Amino acid sequence: MNSDNETLRKKLLEQIDDQAINPKPKVVFRCRECAVWSLWLLSVVVGGMAVAVSLFVIIHHQYDFYEATHENLLTALVDSLPYLWIIIFGLMVLVAIYNIRHTKKGYRYPVWFVLSSSIVLSFALGSSLQYFGLGHTVDKILGQNMAMYMSQEKLESRLWQVPSEGRMIGRQIFTTVSPTSTIVFQDYRGVRWTIDVSELKSEELDLLLEQEKVKLIGRPTDPTLRNFHACGVFPWMMDKPMKLSELSAEREEFVDRMLEHAEAGRKLVAMKETREQTASSSRKKICYQIAPVKKMPTEG
Amino acid sequence: MDDTPKLPPSDEELVKMTLQDKSFFGDLVDRYESKLKRYIARLGVKNPDDQLDVLQEIFLKTYKNLNGFDTSLRFSSWIYRIAHNEAVSWYRKRNVRPEGHLIADSEDIIQWLSTKEDSAEVLFDKTVNAEKVGEALAEIDDKYRQVLILRFFEHKEYEEISDILKIPVGSVGTLIHRGKKSLAGVLNKDAVRI
Repeated sequence: MNSDNETLRKKLLEQIDDQAINPKPKVVFRCRECAVWSLWLLSVVVGGMAVAVSLFVIIHHQYDFYEATHENLLTALVDSLPYLWIIIFGLMVLVAIYNIRHTKKGYRYPVWFVLSSSIVLSFALGSSLQYFGLGHTVDKILGQNMAMYMSQEKLESRLWQVPSEGRMIGRQIFTTVSPTSTIVFQDYRGVRWTIDVSELKSEELDLLLEQEKVKLIGRPTDPTLRNFHACGVFPWMMDKPMKLSELSAEREEFVDRMLEHAEAGRKLVAMKETREQTASSSRKKICYQIAPVKKMPTEG
Repeated sequence: MDDTPKLPPSDEELVKMTLQDKSFFGDLVDRYESKLKRYIARLGVKNPDDQLDVLQEIFLKTYKNLNGFDTSLRFSSWIYRIAHNEAVSWYRKRNVRPEGHLIADSEDIIQWLSTKEDSAEVLFDKTVNAEKVGEALAEIDDKYRQVLILRFFEHKEYEEISDILKIPVGSVGTLIHRGKKSLAGVLNKDAVRI
């Protein structure tokens, strides 16, 4: 043993004695490890929630009525993607990786493995949460409690309460004196409108009669007098989580209605050409001229 | 009476003994002082006074964190990790790059260059100019130099290097491979025959 060694050994033991240095208790290390794993778990849970809400948003088919709400499908998708949750999910994956790498043996796993396992775990958790309706619940609660948060309900309301563009949300208050083709409708902002329902089908009139909240497509005929011509009525679907089949059926219903109006328009034009039209039929049929009908693919 | 010679306690046993009686820590210091002194010198801490300061800091940190030692690791990997971190933080604090002073290790260098490992891309002449290799080592990227030093000068296995540098074992192989290429590049640039 050389003198340096003696010196260092002696010096260190003296320093340990003089400064009363003791090994840190085991609990410190256990707590640190627990904290790292807890943060990892938290990041996976939050990541899972982000996936659940994102899935809810994507599954909810905000873009199903894109012919009525947007120029095209692309702009509808850009408008409805859950950017905030996608960013949160990305951040949570990074936090999860950071935490895994800082566990005792986390460094042994390659980054791709930690990254893919975090993503897979968050997706598995998120899908399960969404299956139990948590995506909808989280989105709704945040929307109700945070003014800044744009929930699907707020987004849908923003998209649909634009009477000047032929879209309204609200409910029927009462019908006018029978026999009539108009009803009184109160929109989302509490404004009352006289709605011409002459081009609606009986199922749509039934839906209005239920006095539940609905989405209305049509055209304002006299905005000053609050007159609106209705061309379609669709149920408001933001009150509960919807099944995929219900959402698909809603899309089908919308497309069918718009195609029916397009067909009616074609017939009207044909009648005009053969001068068979009556004054009343041409006056009342205006749905074939609204924007979503024109955007529908024509046959052949 | 049992005449079989008693084996000295393993490092891991010494750790347990130290936690009962701190005087055993001196034995760990004895075992690792010269190894770690050489290692930190290779990493760039050359001045003897600085070496003593860094060594002291390494052993104190080791002592304070004994309860955090993961017994599934080798103690040597753990203390080398502490030494590595201390040496790196020492030259970062002083904002200096380690210089090539591996002349004394020429035997190690010769041994290294004669290994077949990862040799496809790097062919060395055994007439080694150890000084130039040392200088070239100081020129290459830190991450390559660190693995090359551990592998070829400290003779650590891949798994130990993984534990010391806290990187995946696969990355150790990659870094060694790239490090040797990088080193060969520096040596060829200087047209040094090694």
